[in-house]
Formats: sequence, C-alpha cells, structure tokens
Amino acid sequence: MKARNTAALRIGGMMLGISMASVAMPYVALAHGPTRQKVTESVEINAPAAKVWATIGNFQNMAWCDDVAKTTGTGGNVPNTANRVITLKSGATITQDLTRYDAKEMSYGYFTDKIDIKVLPVNDYSGEIKVIPEGANKSKVSWEAAFYRGYMNNDPPPNLSDDASLKAVTKWVRTRLDGLKTKMEATH
Amino acid sequence: MSRLGHFARLIAAAGVSIGFVAVGSALADEAFITNQNANSVSVLDLTSKKVVATIPVAGKPAGIAMSRDGTRAYVTSPEGPYVSVIDTASRRVLRKFPAGRDPLGIAIDPTGKFVYVADFDIPHLYKIDVSTGKIVADAHVGKSPCGVAVTPNGKLIVVADRDDNQISIVDAATFKRIGVVKVGQHPFGLTIDAEGKRVYTADVVSNTVSVVDLASQKLIGTVKTGLRPYVVAVNGKYGFSTDEYGGTVTVFDLKTLKFVKRINVGDYPEGIEFSSDGSKLYVANWMSDDVWGIDAKTFKPVAKIKVQDGPRSFGTFIRKTP
Repeated sequence: MKARNTAALRIGGMMLGISMASVAMPYVALAHGPTRQKVTESVEINAPAAKVWATIGNFQNMAWCDDVAKTTGTGGNVPNTANRVITLKSGATITQDLTRYDAKEMSYGYFTDKIDIKVLPVNDYSGEIKVIPEGANKSKVSWEAAFYRGYMNNDPPPNLSDDASLKAVTKWVRTRLDGLKTKMEATH
Repeated sequence: MSRLGHFARLIAAAGVSIGFVAVGSALADEAFITNQNANSVSVLDLTSKKVVATIPVAGKPAGIAMSRDGTRAYVTSPEGPYVSVIDTASRRVLRKFPAGRDPLGIAIDPTGKFVYVADFDIPHLYKIDVSTGKIVADAHVGKSPCGVAVTPNGKLIVVADRDDNQISIVDAATFKRIGVVKVGQHPFGLTIDAEGKRVYTADVVSNTVSVVDLASQKLIGTVKTGLRPYVVAVNGKYGFSTDEYGGTVTVFDLKTLKFVKRINVGDYPEGIEFSSDGSKLYVANWMSDDVWGIDAKTFKPVAKIKVQDGPRSFGTFIRKTP
C-alpha cells in the first residue's frame, strides 16, 4: 500500500515536471529553510507578584533555576548593555544579553549569543519573562521563547527538527516554571 | 449618503446575492494577516476591529503582497514552497503556484499582472505572471534575499539581500540587476517612498534603518532604531520601524533622520503598514498573536485585535474594500 502510494506520487511528479517544465519542480520535496518556533508557558504561583519578581527579576542571578550553578555578568539590568554567562551544574555555559527590562511591568527580555545545541537544540534563541499580579497573594509568571530549530539547513536530523526543538524548549521552560512555583510556595 | 456609498452598497448587496461572503462595510479597510505558525490568514475589518474571516493557508505563510485594486492578495508559503492567490472578496484561495525553493518576500507590480518573489534559499528574484502562475523571468540577486518592493511607477524592483548586507536594484523591464548598494547588517524588510526616490531598509543586526537614494544609488543616511528592526514604513513626514526584541515601533523624522519617539506595541512586532487614508498604522505582533492599530499623528494605540498563532504579514497587507 505504502509502495503503491509512493509510486503514484513519483509518476505524478514526473508528469508535472514534464508538463510544466518548471525549475522549481525537482526541489519541491526538500525545499525551505526553517520557520521560527515559539513556546509560551505560564504558571500560577501562590505568592505576591513583588516577591516573585524579587526572586527572578535580577538578570544577573539565575539561582532560582535548579540546574544553574552560577551566574556571572556585567551591566546589571541595563538593556543593550548587560550580559551574563550562566553556568549549569552540568558544566555547560550559556551566554545571553539583556534586550529589554521593565521593573514596573516586572518583565525582561533576553537574547542568547551562545548555547550548545547539546544543551538546547536551538538557534537565535530569545525570550521574555513576565510576572503578572493576580490579587494580593497570587501571581502568574509567563515565559515566552522564540527560536529556530537546532539545524538551520534543509532536512534536519530528527533530534534537531522543529518538533524536537519545540519539545526541548517546552520542557526547558516548563521545568523551570514549575520549579519556581515549588520554591516560592515553600518559602511563602 | 454619498452616491459612491450608495453604489458600494449595491455592489455589496449584489455580492451577497451571487453567493460571495458579504463585505462588512463599504469603503472600509481590511487587513490580511499571515499567521505563520497557525497556517492561516486572518481577515480583519479595521473599522469594527474584528476578525471577519480566517482562510486556511498551509506551508507556514509569511510574505504577502496586496494588489493595488485590493482584489487579490498573494501569500508566500516558504515551506510550501508556493504562492497562494487569495480572492479578497470571497476569502478563498483561488490557486497556488510553485515559486522556487523558499519563497518569502513578495511584491506586486502596479498593474497587478506580475508578482516578484525573492527566493531565500537560492539568491534569485522571480517574475511570475499571475494569470498563468509561471516564472517568466529570473534575476540573480544577493545572498538570502528577503524584502521586495517596487517603485510606484513600476520601473524598479528593490530587494534586501540579507546576508550580503546590501540591496539589489533590478530593472523591471529587462529584469537585470542594475545596481547594488551596501546598507546596515542583515537588511530584512524594505520600503520605497511614495515619490519613488528613497529606499529604507530595516537592518536586523545593526539595529538601524538605512536610507538609500535610488537615483544616485548611494547610502545617504542611517537611523538608530530599537532592538532587531524587521520592517519599516514611511509616510511623507515620519519613518516607523518594527523593533522585534524591543517590542517597540521607533519613529524617526524623514528630513533630519533623527529619533522622534519609541512606541510600545505587542511582542515581536513585524509587518507594518498604513491604513489607506494614512491616518493609522497597523502592526502584526508575531509573539503576542495580535495586530495593533496606532494613530499616525498621536502615536497612541487605537486597536488591539487578536489573531492566530504567529502573525507576520511581511509585505503589503491592507486593502480598501470596494
């Protein structure tokens, strides 16, 4: 059944190729570079927004993430100036720039200069974290991430495909948000 | 009620009777928004600020070119790879035609007979006859061509060659490249002013807008923008860049090329275009999945319309309804 379908497609392709004589036809099956992907995740935390922001709002301190060993950097929380090197407990490092910072809105944005695709299979990875107040003792943290898959050319290997990258970033963000909730609610 | 308005109503009524989807209100603007991650195009009535139709378009639709008369929208699907022809009145895809390996940027000539499509994968600009869907001419341009624009008289086509940090100027008649001008780093979107004199490019990596004089083929100025400018729009007085990482639109003066204002918009803004009367600007925000309307004089937001996942509308996307 499968073989028959393939054959039918091939014949169809040939017929099209002959009748249209288009330069594009031979490439149809494998054409195109990657499309940018996004992940949007959030978590509700039983803690005041200000307290959550006090924990995550310093670009130079990622200690709230369980897998982070240390954060070193320069430029404080000044957008377009600040950068940081996050060292994971695994020993891997991630270099990021601060792209926007709004203490009043309790949000900041970042761009990743360097990350090993073995740590996270992404390219041009950026994002934004925001704390939204939801009453006196409740808040929501939303995390948006934008990235291209780990392999920028056509025909990516399965571990660097759109799907694989989407799954990996979703897990990356989800784990950290859930960890933050546990941490904040334990100390509240 | 003006005679024109009455006429438009009759046309709208006729449209209903022969089975087309009704046009919401006469002489209004509509925006066609390519939702790349959702594989769709949202149609927005900009008067009622509502989504009035959603058209499925596969292949991660990104670029768009609206015909001058507003009857057709041409949408590129880089993962198609093809161009879909949308009948704007009936909100239907009439047909699709192949367009190289990775069609992204697209523009339409003033007569509406040809579209020009940049192939991001191989550095070519295609001239496609919209009546047949065939590539009738092919020009060599620079690496990773993105934005495409046509002068108002239709004589020149300008392409942003992203990875060569330049624009290519192509003669529409001979379809040969007649000039190359170096601009900022990684120009993505570009626009040509109403006089056909200047080209403005949004340079993603250098965080600038480059200003090129078309006649002399010279870079005549550079404007600092917010972070990661993607697209630029101009009227007679101001230029507006969509700054993706900043979540802003930077306003600059076209005469002095000086910074005027930074407007907060949605997250990761990309496509930007003026309403047909020039009074408003509409911005598609890729991350926050919405389209914002901005008053072109006060720079205040006047509309926020939710669309589907990953709106880009890279190109011209607003039409005046008949």
